[in-house]
Amino acid sequence: MKYYVNNQSEISVPAASVAELVEAILAQYPALRPHLYDAEGSLRRHFNIFVNGANIRDLNGMDTPLTEVDKVIFMASAAGG
Amino acid sequence: MLPDLTHEEILRYSRHLLIPEVGLDGQRKLKNSSVLVIGTGGLGSPVSLYLAAAGVGRIGLVDYDVVDSTNLQRQVIHGTSTIGKLKVESARNRMLDLNPDIQVDAYNEPFTSANALRIARDYDLIIDGTDNFPTRYLSNDVAVFLGKPNVYGSIFRFDGQVSVFYAKEGPCYRCLFPEPPPPGLVPSCAEGGVLGILPGTIGTLQATEALKLLLGIGDPLIGRLLLYNALDMSFDFVTLKKNPKCRVCGPNADIKELIDYEEFCGVPGHDHEDGSAGADWDIDAPRLAAALSLDPRLLLLDVREPHELQISALPGVLNIPLGQLASRLSELDSARDMVVFCKAGTRSARALELLVSAGFKKVRNLKGGINAWAKEVDTTLPIY
Repeated sequence: MKYYVNNQSEISVPAASVAELVEAILAQYPALRPHLYDAEGSLRRHFNIFVNGANIRDLNGMDTPLTEVDKVIFMASAAGG
Repeated sequence: MLPDLTHEEILRYSRHLLIPEVGLDGQRKLKNSSVLVIGTGGLGSPVSLYLAAAGVGRIGLVDYDVVDSTNLQRQVIHGTSTIGKLKVESARNRMLDLNPDIQVDAYNEPFTSANALRIARDYDLIIDGTDNFPTRYLSNDVAVFLGKPNVYGSIFRFDGQVSVFYAKEGPCYRCLFPEPPPPGLVPSCAEGGVLGILPGTIGTLQATEALKLLLGIGDPLIGRLLLYNALDMSFDFVTLKKNPKCRVCGPNADIKELIDYEEFCGVPGHDHEDGSAGADWDIDAPRLAAALSLDPRLLLLDVREPHELQISALPGVLNIPLGQLASRLSELDSARDMVVFCKAGTRSARALELLVSAGFKKVRNLKGGINAWAKEVDTTLPIY
């Protein structure tokens, strides 16, 4: 995924929720959009977002609130072996 | 009743017997246990070697591939002397050389819905060391249906993931990834490459988890997933919970038997590149050579990454990496005849699909990519 964000493995973006964070990143790196969202605009189901190690699916989804110190991990499935 | 150890075995496993968490009883447990390793490639190599060395009594290996030289940068269980041999036989011989006291069952067949339950039934746990999505979903479902732990590992370039999926006590692979990515969105190692040492790191972590489960010691990675990055040397843990909507292990599961996993994933169950866009769209390397001599205006579009052109390249081509193609279509003239190529034909087949859907009609795919060209037309070029 980092190949779509200028080879960075970490980025700092101010955002009050996961949805805001994702939109802020996509505004900077639009090529990432088809990797995160399907044609209907839903987060792809091989994709997971974690806030401080917890899946947003077990929190408030894209509405999960964020503070300045939160660490968000984007993780796609990989098949290589 | 656990089997006894011979005097030779006591000497061989001395360093294990000295650890109180393993000890004589633990080593007897390992001798009595069995593990099925799916895939004898990058991950399967360290997994199989270390489980053999550790004295796991019976190890099954499933793979239908043969060893080739591109494997040896990471698949350390094989060797130059076993190029061309069956991977399961190459691995079995190496494991029995390391430890002749164990039993190694070799299954030289693809792991499919037709044979998976039969093969996996008699093992204590499954290790997922495959290289493709269909077999990963299959391995998961088999583990769920048989009630066995599935020690998962996957790799790409510098990144690895490890977890233990055990539906009896935690989430399964489908809880985390309900669906595979759309075909073509996530590149395979054959397309995108992988650092050779990476499967060593991830595979030894899988072997560690397997031994812990067999011995019943420590805190297994059930409900946790490790994300490793070799460049940052970072280890991140995330928590995984059971997905109440999981279709195989949730309370309302609707998948009760193995399905057609190639159909589910939309891709074939292996990491090989067949390099074809379909017979109607392909041109083979000798025909392309002939076409180029007749029509010097024929455009060659190379959709590989720029660093790959340093390995081998054709003169006078236009290079637009596949990832940039959609946003750079305006650089192409749809009235001109065009042939798209990449390393082996997989990415160019995707590029062709994109071009055709954008209205390009006079476009063809070089079947087998520049590697086929190097083999059949210009043998001075290397194959990679």
